[in-house]
Amino acid sequence: MDIKDLKALYKFIKDTDITEIELDDFDGKGKVKLKRGQGAQPVAVQALQRAATPPAAPREEKPVVEAVSVKPDNIKIVTSPMVGTFYRAASPEAQAFVEIGSVVKSGAPLCIIEAMKLMNEVEAELGGKIVSILVENGQPVEYGEPLFHIET
Amino acid sequence: MREAYKTQAEIVKVLRNSGFVSGERVSASLGVSRTAVWKHIESLRLMGYSIDATPSKGYRLNPPASPLFNAVEVASLLSTEFVGRDITWHDSVASTNIMAKEAARDGALEGAAIVADSQTLGKGRMGRRWVSPAGVNLYTSIVLRPTFPPTDAHHLTFVSAVALATTADEFLGKGQGSLKWPNDLLLDSKKAGGILLEMDSDIDRVNFVIVGLGVNLNMKGRMFPAELRNIATSFLERGVKPIDRAMFTARLYRNMEIWYKRYMGEGFLPVIAAWRGFFRSEGKPVKVACHDRVVEGICLGLDDNGALLVRTASGDTQRVVSGDMSEASQRHQ
Repeated sequence: MDIKDLKALYKFIKDTDITEIELDDFDGKGKVKLKRGQGAQPVAVQALQRAATPPAAPREEKPVVEAVSVKPDNIKIVTSPMVGTFYRAASPEAQAFVEIGSVVKSGAPLCIIEAMKLMNEVEAELGGKIVSILVENGQPVEYGEPLFHIET
Repeated sequence: MREAYKTQAEIVKVLRNSGFVSGERVSASLGVSRTAVWKHIESLRLMGYSIDATPSKGYRLNPPASPLFNAVEVASLLSTEFVGRDITWHDSVASTNIMAKEAARDGALEGAAIVADSQTLGKGRMGRRWVSPAGVNLYTSIVLRPTFPPTDAHHLTFVSAVALATTADEFLGKGQGSLKWPNDLLLDSKKAGGILLEMDSDIDRVNFVIVGLGVNLNMKGRMFPAELRNIATSFLERGVKPIDRAMFTARLYRNMEIWYKRYMGEGFLPVIAAWRGFFRSEGKPVKVACHDRVVEGICLGLDDNGALLVRTASGDTQRVVSGDMSEASQRHQ
């Protein structure tokens, strides 16, 4: 367990309705419990301890997004298919394609990723409700970076 | 069945520069009946082709009073394997990119092209408009179905830019066309052509890429909206004779195909090398308007992935992947 894993976990729950999350085995690295506070501290680390017995065989290092797939099965992560700039609307004046809480159908546009005037409209593969938007408008994104969580 | 316009293009090819050709020969070389040939000739006449017909000598195609621009004419001038082999023609359309996306979703083959004489909602970057009057310019979108992963798709921006600039030089003379990063065609430092690419992909697979091109060919200065007059131009404004739009389209498709095949076969380096040959801003002060910041400095050219490198006043080098570049000394967008 290191601070990067914790940050990723924090980022994952920050824009959701989740107030408390407890994982007995966080990617084979131990036990973690995060609780969202009411006041100035949105998330407090309540407890963090090494697992009593480490896994017998060394595990393959998995990307962080895999690690949080212990979340409810009905949350789908939409990731970026390429490196580029993330736009939430088709033009600066236009309305965002989706907001948190928007209910989208399969195939609905969620955002545009631009790299060098190639526009990639990212669509919802499955219908559902947008529960988190993980990137700010106009920010650079990496290949495979999580963009949205959709509750299906 | 072969689409009518393709048969008609074959007829035009047989008749062009040939004097009188007998109906029998036309029907034999196309593999259609003489009655069918006659019907196609009638259709061609309605499109504006001047064709003489005499029972004893056959058909003769006269040079047109003014160049024709339609699917038949483009097809009759084409020399490609796949780019433009299927042309869908519109007198007026919202946007050729929108039509091409629909066609691609319906299974259009690689190289399928949409051409329109005018657009009511011509698209630029980030929802901007592309001024698209009828009768003067070229608006076309090409469907590509590359087999590489989506992460490389922006390379097609440079492939299409090289194809467009090469075509410009073929019509205006070598060294006339230049490129603004990443893919605007400039003539005399003013914008004469724009390219907008739209991709439909899964996380690891490209379904299709639409390459949309708008080229100001025969637009006169007064046809530009006032706010564009200082920054936009056309081939005609360069002081040469009007461009034959069908010929330009056919050559552009050919150059698209040449560079696309080269990219698929040899990779990105030959493309970026050719692109650099059309780039005149290296070493000059530039501004790049990005979403929430402006990068200013000396242009260091492109890295090998096509990103723009700018050395800022503080001495560090910024790498830009999205934004609108202009030379700082000029008032371009």
